[in-house]
Amino acid sequence: MIQTGLIQNAHGDLVTDASYDFYGLRLATCSLDQRIKIWQLDENNTWNVEDDWKAHDAAVSRLSWAHPEFGSIIASSSFDRTVKIWEQTSISQADSQVNGAQHGSGGFNSRWVERAVLSDAKGTVRAVEFAPHHFGLKLATISTDNLLRVYECSEQPSLNTWTLNDELDIQSMALGPSPGHVSRAHTMALATPTQTNATLEGANASLVTAALLQQTATNAPAPGRPGNREADGGWCISWCKDKYWGEVIVAGCGTTGIIKIIQLNSRRSATLLTLSSASNTAYNSVNSAVNSSNAAPADTADARSSSTSTNANSSSSAITSVSWAPSCGRSYHLIATGGRDGHVRIWKVKPGSEDADIENAGDSDGEDAKWTAIAVADFEQHKSAVGRVEWNITGTILSSAGNDGRVRLWKATSGSVWRPAGSVCVEQSEEPSQPESKDVEMDT
Amino acid sequence: MAAKDVLHLVPPLVEAGKFNDLVKAGQTISSALCPSDNTVLVFIKDKNPSVSEEARATDEEQPLYFASLNAIPSSERRLLLTDTLIIFTAFQKLLQSAETREPGWLQSEQCLTMIRKLAIDYVNFIKECWVHASQPIPRVDGTLQFTGDHYRGLYTCFSLFVVLYLPEPGYEQAPVGDELMEWLNTHFIEPSTEEGDQLSALDRPWEDESFWPYLTRSILRGLSKASLFFLAALEHHPSEKLQRLTSTVIPLIESQPRLMNFTVEREFAYAMRRWGDKVKALRIEMDRVPEKERFDRFENWWERLSDIVGILEGRQDVVQRVCDDLGADWKEVAVAWSIFVDPRMRRQDMAEVAAQILSEMPPDPTQHEDMVHAALFSGQPIEALHHASNLDCWLSAHLGDIMESLQLIDAEPKDDSGISLRDQYVLSYAEYLHSDPALWRITVDYMYSCEEIGQRRADEVLLRVPLQLNEQNSDLKVDPRIRAGDIVGVLKDVNKTCFEYKRENVRRTVCRIAAQALVSDKDYGLAVSYCISAEDWLGLGRIVDRVLEEYITDGPQGFTQYALAIAPSVQELRAQSLIQGVFMHRLIFVVRYARFHELVQKRHYQDAASDLMTIFVEGIAPTSWWAVVLCDSVQFLQYAPTLLFSSSAASLLLQRLEDIFTRTSQGAGADYLSVLTRVIKSKSEREAVDQLKTVRIALARYFARSLVSRGIGP
Repeated sequence: MIQTGLIQNAHGDLVTDASYDFYGLRLATCSLDQRIKIWQLDENNTWNVEDDWKAHDAAVSRLSWAHPEFGSIIASSSFDRTVKIWEQTSISQADSQVNGAQHGSGGFNSRWVERAVLSDAKGTVRAVEFAPHHFGLKLATISTDNLLRVYECSEQPSLNTWTLNDELDIQSMALGPSPGHVSRAHTMALATPTQTNATLEGANASLVTAALLQQTATNAPAPGRPGNREADGGWCISWCKDKYWGEVIVAGCGTTGIIKIIQLNSRRSATLLTLSSASNTAYNSVNSAVNSSNAAPADTADARSSSTSTNANSSSSAITSVSWAPSCGRSYHLIATGGRDGHVRIWKVKPGSEDADIENAGDSDGEDAKWTAIAVADFEQHKSAVGRVEWNITGTILSSAGNDGRVRLWKATSGSVWRPAGSVCVEQSEEPSQPESKDVEMDT
Repeated sequence: MAAKDVLHLVPPLVEAGKFNDLVKAGQTISSALCPSDNTVLVFIKDKNPSVSEEARATDEEQPLYFASLNAIPSSERRLLLTDTLIIFTAFQKLLQSAETREPGWLQSEQCLTMIRKLAIDYVNFIKECWVHASQPIPRVDGTLQFTGDHYRGLYTCFSLFVVLYLPEPGYEQAPVGDELMEWLNTHFIEPSTEEGDQLSALDRPWEDESFWPYLTRSILRGLSKASLFFLAALEHHPSEKLQRLTSTVIPLIESQPRLMNFTVEREFAYAMRRWGDKVKALRIEMDRVPEKERFDRFENWWERLSDIVGILEGRQDVVQRVCDDLGADWKEVAVAWSIFVDPRMRRQDMAEVAAQILSEMPPDPTQHEDMVHAALFSGQPIEALHHASNLDCWLSAHLGDIMESLQLIDAEPKDDSGISLRDQYVLSYAEYLHSDPALWRITVDYMYSCEEIGQRRADEVLLRVPLQLNEQNSDLKVDPRIRAGDIVGVLKDVNKTCFEYKRENVRRTVCRIAAQALVSDKDYGLAVSYCISAEDWLGLGRIVDRVLEEYITDGPQGFTQYALAIAPSVQELRAQSLIQGVFMHRLIFVVRYARFHELVQKRHYQDAASDLMTIFVEGIAPTSWWAVVLCDSVQFLQYAPTLLFSSSAASLLLQRLEDIFTRTSQGAGADYLSVLTRVIKSKSEREAVDQLKTVRIALARYFARSLVSRGIGP
């Protein structure tokens, strides 16, 4: 591997997330300093700041770019319990709509304007991701209230109105058609054009007050829950990029080592499959362990009890990051997870047969009607909590980052065997005089 | 190629092995992957998410690092990548044409001749790269990314592959020895020319310790010119016996049968046998030399000559021992075997012999090139590909491509990955190419040559080729050529690639993105044509809404201009009757309403009034716009010089007006008055209603005028 670039002084405080746009020509970064920066790559391969503004009233947790067919749009999720939608506008338009003082020093050709604030979360919002473009302008969020929320923009191109299509309690959502499903679609005009004209600070201050009030009301530590639940847990989501299966998303929350594959449906969303890191097993609505001969049958109750016991001693199994690989013509899906247990896992997920009726999945007797999964890779090289996993656009390279200070890359070699493909770190080289060692064979 | 190593980013943030200090301070590492070239962005983030609402005012400088799996190909490397694509493309075309022919044509003589020709093209091109990279010339971009020696390795491997697996048609069953020897002599020159020069300068070269090894190797390599020269020198050797023997050896070397000098193999075999008899005679003659006469002042010349005769006799043990003594490797043994031990050896016999030799003289596992040679000699194409990929993914991709067509490797995926061996190596090469976004055309060409999975990966790459609609990154304005309606530059290339590989879905998405970019530049006319091209009716609807929005926010002037820009496309759509229904009505409304405003601006009131009526007569206006259009009618109703509407037309206006009043009183005001309310920059429906009341008054007066004028009339 070789180093190809460096931005010396990107942010004034720790960066909390960085996200490339569709083309990799722009980069959105956010920081504990509550600011978002948009960088643009110029012809000389230099990253220049395109815009820089204070975006939230607490640290920004994640950023996501919408597909370019909807325009230049990003969503940011924050510890201030909100998700905000931002749109790039040319400077003339921005002048009339944005309080210039919010933004960094002038000289930018464009401005990013707040279009909507989604403030349904009863906890800090930990992840936001736009849905694949073929499902329209939609996004999913997950927050520490363990609710997965799916919003749809109901008013393009103004982006002001977002409908909460779905609100699902990930933890209590049972396997199969879910009784724990608390979907309540309603429309909210979250930011009227007049609000957009108001100063951001004013609007945010009131939202934060509301959020704080909610916190006192709802966030008193529940009995049996450790106080540092937020610090030890993991909240993550990733959309299935394929159109074929409809809207499917994988989500994990809290301190359990469990992630759920959820089929979103306007009438009734359902869990298709649950992946448990504890035993590397997958189970779906019929309570048999699938593709794992030694795994005991598990149902929701089991899953809950095991998560409770995990809570009791440590939070080591929490999944901090999940990434659904673009399937790119494969007959199966790959989902990668990274957890506080130090494992990077790759799940090979096979969808159920196409004529399977999702609503009746529980009653279906054909085995092929169900989604199944096996763990095809389980790496412990990080030897410490893994904070991020991510696939490249073709689903051929997986990156993972851990508390060992390494960003590791993984690739499939012949026979679909996943192997290390290099790593980077910010530690000083042991022998600074020596150039990087090359071609160390790790093949068998 | 991709080094499986640890890259230490600079500047380092902590000393070696001290990352845990950062972790203790609540920090950790994180990353993001770049869609355009798989670059890894690395940054330091907070380990435990902070709920603090205070913006911390630290002045720590937080860097962002960028790292890549592969270095971007340098100019000399790019030459190889881009120029061999031409050969690759020609090969793909050949394979495509094979599909249209009878089954088995791929293995026909005609086709194999073409495959061989293309393979030789590859070989010649790598040779050029090798020559170029070996030149000691100053280079613009500093040092070479890959050394001349690297290209030499590719050259030896590819040419060996051609010798062993792509014989000239008709020669599949011919002895392979000569060709192999030519390959060995081309790439692994022994004995060295310097040694020869040095020896030839001596009066009594046999006194030099390198003499006999030199002579032996020359004969082993079939270098008759050098061998004969030094054999001639031996005619001056003090030993008479040796002199006499030499005079027997010289004609033997001169007359060693070479396959190329025969038209029929049978004759070659016959000549070989007769020649072998002569060698046997020589051996008998040698054995007659008494033991004590077998030495000169330096050494036992007889044993040296005996080795040479042993080689000519084709004795395995001698060949192997001599090679060992000369420091030659398994390759030399295998090739000498095919000349002396088994001169009629066929290609398919080589695997067995090579296996035997390799078991005693294994290849150098640290040398990928040697491993590729060994696998090719041993008839193990899969192994060869594996080692080739370690040498250079270019090699494995192109070898694999040809191997599949020759049925050397299985075309079916061997596991459930769904990727054949050939595709696996081609895709791995494509991934290397993807590390340079500028090489996207080549990247997708290779990916699209694969089956479904590769093609879908190509889609992802192609979709992310920046369209560069904006002239400059810093400027949000669209390139004037694109504005003029030309599909130029990258957009044109991407479109072309989509057509070429029949990727309609990609093309449509690209058109949708282009349309969106044009909309944000208010270039609605062009945006509409892209939407139509993408058959994105939803997007088209959004553009129409945007154009109508222009009217609401900025009034008729700008709106007219924008709407008339989309008029030609609408005309086209109507002609093709591609879309129907309400949606089409809205499009037509926008255009007609714009034309109406244009006429008003030009003061063509009669025509304007007639257009306005058409909007209602044809029923194309959305109900929310009725009120707005009605308000526009006031100026015509009040037009003094003449009556612009017929009485039936005026009645229709009144009817629509009354509809709005009725529905509004029934509580459906939002449906009918929302647009007007916004147009008159009001917040309440009431003001809109008031506005409509003026229309009612104007209408009443118009009817009055109309009655009067008709009353006066005949």
